[in-house]
Amino acid sequence: MPQYMLLLYDDPSTWQKVSPDEMQKAIEKYMAWTKKPFTVDSKRLGEDAGRVIRNTGGKARATDGPYSETKEVLGGFYLIEAADYDEAVRLAKDHPHVEYGGTIEVRVLFGQ
Amino acid sequence: MNQAGETGVLLEHLFRRQAGRMVAHLTGLLGPANLDLAEETVQEAMLRALQTWPYQGVPENAGAWLFRVAHNAAIDAVRRRRLTAKKEEEAVADITEAAESMLERPDLEEHLRDEELRMIFMCCHPEIGREASVALSLKTAGGFSVREIARAFLAEDAAVAQRLVRAKRQIRERGMTLEMPTGKDLEKRLDAVLEVIYFVFNEGYTAHEGEDLIRGDLCGEAFRLVRLIAGSALAQPRVHALAALIAFQWARSPARVDQLGNLVLLEDQDRSLWDAWLISLGFCHFDSSVAGDAASEFHVQAAIAATHARAASEGEIQWGIILQLYDDLLLMNPSPIVALNRAVAVAKVHGPQEALAGIEALRAEPKLRSYYLLLAVRGHLLLDLGRREEAAGSFQAALECRCSEPERRFLRRKLGECEAEPA
Repeated sequence: MPQYMLLLYDDPSTWQKVSPDEMQKAIEKYMAWTKKPFTVDSKRLGEDAGRVIRNTGGKARATDGPYSETKEVLGGFYLIEAADYDEAVRLAKDHPHVEYGGTIEVRVLFGQ
Repeated sequence: MNQAGETGVLLEHLFRRQAGRMVAHLTGLLGPANLDLAEETVQEAMLRALQTWPYQGVPENAGAWLFRVAHNAAIDAVRRRRLTAKKEEEAVADITEAAESMLERPDLEEHLRDEELRMIFMCCHPEIGREASVALSLKTAGGFSVREIARAFLAEDAAVAQRLVRAKRQIRERGMTLEMPTGKDLEKRLDAVLEVIYFVFNEGYTAHEGEDLIRGDLCGEAFRLVRLIAGSALAQPRVHALAALIAFQWARSPARVDQLGNLVLLEDQDRSLWDAWLISLGFCHFDSSVAGDAASEFHVQAAIAATHARAASEGEIQWGIILQLYDDLLLMNPSPIVALNRAVAVAKVHGPQEALAGIEALRAEPKLRSYYLLLAVRGHLLLDLGRREEAAGSFQAALECRCSEPERRFLRRKLGECEAEPA
């Protein structure tokens, strides 16, 4: 079955005023989704901006990652199985991340 | 500490409970003037949980994990505050030591309870007004958010936030500490704390449209707080009396509203629906409350509730005892509200005619002039006496007073009874 990558972008300011009780409910919803049978893998990315490697004058140079101008930062990803884009999108729409104001980018893994 | 189950399912309200304890603990470390910082730190720890647990699973000891992350966040916060190098190192050392000793303390639960109690007692400082004390206690020790508090009290978010800002400023400016008061001051402060707890309970218990879940949470929080004190060295007999009173009243909540959301009067309630666990807890606290000679209003109110709880059916209620207790209560607190409640017992013991005479005397009270309950009780008594037209007039007048939607529906139903043909 084709695999799809879900890239989760989040806006940390969303959570500033959320109560502990709501926070707990959110965690439970996220965890329930992670355990769904179509989820192959999921990982969280570090909070820092990371590093960017570029070819600068023929040499590989690393710089500190791009401090994004937008509020949203890539926070984590899921690898899921779905029959086609339609199904992948349908599954992703159900992810609590959307309910809590985050953005999900869906990309198919090539060559499957 | 609270554990997450093997399935990763978290205990209900784990975060709310843990947030209260963490804020109390960190306020102790950072100082009450930095209450805001303590709250931010706790929020950060919870956010960290949200970011990692769904991917890595719930840590084995979720409660301890949250404390550890909050300690680290507090150290970061201290480092950002540009203190002198010496002060910064001292503060960091304090937090580090607290974090380490937390892992080893055999008396950790008691220690955390103690910190929480100190926090609540500071929130109820006499210089902080009652409303602000209520909001502050719920926010800091209870782990409720501004929005939740506003929803529970049918207030605006901004008004609640404002109240909290003012209270925190008072804490800073007056240099309030987490030291427990002593002697007479401690007694007074305990009374203030108990009043705040009972106020929170009543707000949660009063029937309102929608029966929002958050209101049930208020009852739960009030009961938790009073039991927290009842289980500590601060447990005076009146603390147990309030715990008993809350348990008995709260036990009735499943029977208090029928399936259609209509109010059911105490005497019409299906007693089998009363929560047996709460009733038994109520009697435990009631037994502990009779130690010593001091009798508080809570004692008498708890005794009234216990008399109701003891009756297996409506017919077995010992109204004579209840009336006597209301007489005692009226001596302690000669308020028209108590007198109104007493009138109901008078009706049961001496008949509606005598109760009505008492009610008529109360109608002149300015406090009760536009109180729907007075007019509702009056209507009820008139109806019992067969004076239907007057009863209808009383219910009609009650409907014009301020009352909640379930109460309104109840009054309309009674009005319908007045108009129905006598059976």
